[in-house]
Amino acid sequence: MSNQKRRNFQIEAFKHRVVVDPKYADKTWKILEHAIHEIYNHNASGLSFEELYRNAYNMVLHKFGDKLYSGLVTTMTVHLQEISKSIEAAQGSLFLEELNRKWNDHNKALQMIRDILMYMDRTYIPSTLKTPVHELGMNLWRDNIVHSSKIRTRLLNMLLELVLRERTGEVINRGLTRNLIKMLMDLGCSVYEEDFERPFLEVSSEFYWGESQKFIECCDCGDYLKKAERRLNEEMERVTHYLDAKSEKKIISVVEEEMITNHMMGLIHMENSGLVNMLLDDKFVDLGRMYDLFCRVPNGLLRIREVMTSHIRDTGKQLVSDPERLKDPVEFVQRLLDERDKYDNIITLSFNNDKTFQNALNSSFEYFINLNPRSPEFISLFVDEKLRKGLKGVSEEDVEIILDKVMMLFRYLQEKDVFEKYYKQHLAKRLLSGKTVSDDAERSLIVKLKTECGYQFTSKLEGMFTDMKTSQDTMQGFYASHPQLDDGPTLTVQVLTTGSWPTQPSVTCNLPAEMSTLCEKFRAYYLGTHTGRRLSWQTNMGTADIKAIFGKCQKHELNVSTYQMCVLMLFNNADRLNYKDIEQATEIPASDLKRCLQSMACVKGKNVLRKEPMSKDIWEDDAFFVNDKFTSKFYKVKIGTVVAQKESEPEKQETRQRVEEDRKPQIEAAIVRIMKSRRQLDHNNIIAEVTKQLQLRFLANPTEIKKRIESLIERDFLERDDTDRKLYRYLA
Amino acid sequence: MGIQKDKVRFNVGGRIFETTATTLANAGRNSIFGAMFDENWTLKADNSEEYFIDRNPDCFAILLDLLRTGDLYIPVNIPEKLIYREALFYGLLDHVRSAKWGPFDGNRLRPSRSITGRAPGDGTAIRAGPDGGCCVADGSMVHVYDWMLDEHAPITLDYQRVNDVGWIDSHSILISVCERLGRGDGGMGLFSSSTGELRYKFQVNHENQVKSFTAGALSFSSDYKIFSSCKGRSNEYGIGVWDQVTGKQIDFFYEPLGWSLGDADKLQWLHGSNCLLVASLFPRKDNCYISLLDFREKKMVWSWSDIGAPMTGDEKRVRDAIAMEENSSICVVNEYDDLGFMDLRSTAGSVRWSSRSRLMKGKMPEETCYPKLALHEGQLFSSMNDCISVFCGPDWVLTSRLRRSYGGSICDFSIGGDRLFALHSEENVFDIWETPPPPII
Repeated sequence: MSNQKRRNFQIEAFKHRVVVDPKYADKTWKILEHAIHEIYNHNASGLSFEELYRNAYNMVLHKFGDKLYSGLVTTMTVHLQEISKSIEAAQGSLFLEELNRKWNDHNKALQMIRDILMYMDRTYIPSTLKTPVHELGMNLWRDNIVHSSKIRTRLLNMLLELVLRERTGEVINRGLTRNLIKMLMDLGCSVYEEDFERPFLEVSSEFYWGESQKFIECCDCGDYLKKAERRLNEEMERVTHYLDAKSEKKIISVVEEEMITNHMMGLIHMENSGLVNMLLDDKFVDLGRMYDLFCRVPNGLLRIREVMTSHIRDTGKQLVSDPERLKDPVEFVQRLLDERDKYDNIITLSFNNDKTFQNALNSSFEYFINLNPRSPEFISLFVDEKLRKGLKGVSEEDVEIILDKVMMLFRYLQEKDVFEKYYKQHLAKRLLSGKTVSDDAERSLIVKLKTECGYQFTSKLEGMFTDMKTSQDTMQGFYASHPQLDDGPTLTVQVLTTGSWPTQPSVTCNLPAEMSTLCEKFRAYYLGTHTGRRLSWQTNMGTADIKAIFGKCQKHELNVSTYQMCVLMLFNNADRLNYKDIEQATEIPASDLKRCLQSMACVKGKNVLRKEPMSKDIWEDDAFFVNDKFTSKFYKVKIGTVVAQKESEPEKQETRQRVEEDRKPQIEAAIVRIMKSRRQLDHNNIIAEVTKQLQLRFLANPTEIKKRIESLIERDFLERDDTDRKLYRYLA
Repeated sequence: MGIQKDKVRFNVGGRIFETTATTLANAGRNSIFGAMFDENWTLKADNSEEYFIDRNPDCFAILLDLLRTGDLYIPVNIPEKLIYREALFYGLLDHVRSAKWGPFDGNRLRPSRSITGRAPGDGTAIRAGPDGGCCVADGSMVHVYDWMLDEHAPITLDYQRVNDVGWIDSHSILISVCERLGRGDGGMGLFSSSTGELRYKFQVNHENQVKSFTAGALSFSSDYKIFSSCKGRSNEYGIGVWDQVTGKQIDFFYEPLGWSLGDADKLQWLHGSNCLLVASLFPRKDNCYISLLDFREKKMVWSWSDIGAPMTGDEKRVRDAIAMEENSSICVVNEYDDLGFMDLRSTAGSVRWSSRSRLMKGKMPEETCYPKLALHEGQLFSSMNDCISVFCGPDWVLTSRLRRSYGGSICDFSIGGDRLFALHSEENVFDIWETPPPPII
């Protein structure tokens, strides 16, 4: 028993591993592989979808997923290589068509393969992180077809050639081009960018570089811009037809760079057709196009604005410094207005009402208008002219428009107070001589000035209007209380408030006896109704209507100034008078008397007096007679005084001086206002703040401000800081 | 379509079914029916004009009904798993999933299943996946369940301690673990949810040097960023930021002196204000620190801490915090399940406690779990012991309580994929709560 052999029992496991038929996977794959072949060969009608789906399902279920997947990759690659050969073999333009057809076939086949392998796509692929079937098909197409060495450059070149042909005006097959470019996009952003977009942009850049060189040599500016605009539109259209929408920005920026940015200065300064010529010739359409194109590129509008500004400044400077122009202030201002209207129009019609352009226009006008120190005077004269006669028969709206334009110019003025001075003088003349066309227009302008510059600016002007009104009432009252005066000469008095009116201190002349008694009566009446007032006569500003008989029966009514009236009345008692006699009798200041005699004796058609000897000027030993031979076809004759419409040189000096004098208290007031709130401030800041406060009225001169500060220190309004001499303190 | 008439006849495993092409169209293009009736395929019907499918006819009947009515009804004698498999064959698994339970509503939840795990209990975290699956972190393992509640291969991470987990999408899970001393391991890894394979390891760079680190709480933003609290070897504490697409570290917010970021218990990304909520809480730290970080300006834009707060008799320590952007407030909870609120708009915030659960005091079990908070579409969830309370409305009124009888206290819960998962601490059990499909009428 001991040597009885022990038998080792081998106990078999109860559960057998179920072995799948090893050929099962191969068999099944053969079926699927065959199906894929058939699909690629357009022979799918004999296939049973259910069977194929079940086979693919079973392979994945029995853990043959990797076999299925690698089989798919191999089979698909083989087919794609065949396809690649057939595409390569295509000749000429058939190449693109073949490629497109095969791409469509591949897409269809891929869809069907995906249908069969749907179960693998859903379960095996996500858990093994493999590429899904559709993406795999795209990648294989990319690697075997699009990136094949014999296809890649050929495809690119043919696509670029199509684009070039279309750019040169040929009609190309856009549908085909779109399909092929869509193919590149379907293969992924990077394929489209690398294999088409980048080379496309390079070629485009070259093309437009060459074309813009050609254009700039043979076209004028307007034509060039037209062509550039058309090219831009073409490229945008191209993108919508067959490129990726993301390319639009890139290709447009290429065209902008080559066609516009690189030639910006050349276009603006192009001889005979550049920006300045367009401005001169009012080429609204071309200017508008230039604006639209240039606003696409950096600094484009800046360049236009710079050139426009310097052009306006130059022409404006010529305008205001041309001595010919200065002869006629109305014409001068009219030219300014025309110029402004012109550029206003250009900005509205061509430059999209761009605010920066409006600002440039305004600053240019401000610049050159103030180059001429007489601009304020001229503008006031222009208004004077318009309000005297220019506005007759013009509708209310048109009046407003003209006044608004004048206000526009007024805004450009730095020395607004000078304008005010002149305006006051001119207004006074208009009011006193009753020459103003429309009270409404006068008031409307004053309202405008008031809104522009504030109440202070116009308070005196308004005072003038009030005086006129009160005077009318006073005169009515005077005649009502003196009914016996009806048959004598009529006296009309305008009582002017001192200060509101630009009165010059003048010597009262001797009035004729009839008049002076009347004047005394009025004085008594006026002072009787208003106590505590003083009345002085401004004989230099009055007018008179007198009746005269020349020769036998030449009856006329003469409209003359008060001085002239005084002189003429002397001839009621004498036939001949020497200059000296007249001067003695009337006591009119010499310069005024000379002017007044000159206007009556030396002006043709108005020569109611005769002078011996005959000459143009008045001399102290001249003698004067009534001109019996005076004739005129009018009954009423207006005898103006010879007055320079513009100011004479000394007068100008005087006005200037008066303006300077008026500025002093304003500057002082501003200094005190500032110091009162700041308590202490250094010199530079005071100058800056004063200038700022006053710039609505005038541009204060720093040396003048300094003088005013000194004066205020003297009067103990301010003091200097002991340590810092530049620092001022306000003394309450 | 390859068929002339609307009527379609199938022979499934020997049983004849008749339906219409319209019904089958409900399956969508990415199903067997969508492909079958595509014009690419010229369907071959047998002589009797029927299409043969070699599958289980009982399941086909159920799935056909699903296509007809949109409702899923599984008779008791058919295992769910069988239906799932058939649905996967036909490409109808998504239809089944969306028919199985309704859109989430905290007040209509019903317990659907309980899953018992193998671990000894005391789990770390449970996280709901976007498609109804979930993963459970237990010590050094992460168990992954799909929406059919089948368990996949567990992730072991070389048995280092797991601190937090999160779903990037339904295929990938991010896991943060402790650093193992002496080895360069630890940190953060991306794993496949179906196979458990490691796909990517995230690294931290300090001054261009790769450092090993312990990753803590996790959060994700909608613009594909990952946030994690980090503790490095040499005081490199703070919040790291990575890009989900490239996997590269893109930012690091260093912990300021006297504050806590690297030890955070909770991170929450706030979409509206582009800020990250960081909460470090008792008992991991002695004090509570809650702050909002703005990464663009590298600034702490809001902060609150209970350092130096007077200790009252009934000590209230913040145990969890959640930001509610719609109300511009932060909700906190203490160990008595009291809710407290802080205003995000004022910087000097103090907690306004609403003491609704005073009743709880005195009958606290010995071994408690810390309360947790969650917010879902305007409903606030708070776990305490073995139940979860649901609060609604502007005044956060208690509207529902979810409780299952066994498993002990709830140590973590999570809402996602229209499901709520609650992990119990004593037994390794987690409950799945679902909203039933809408009623027929």
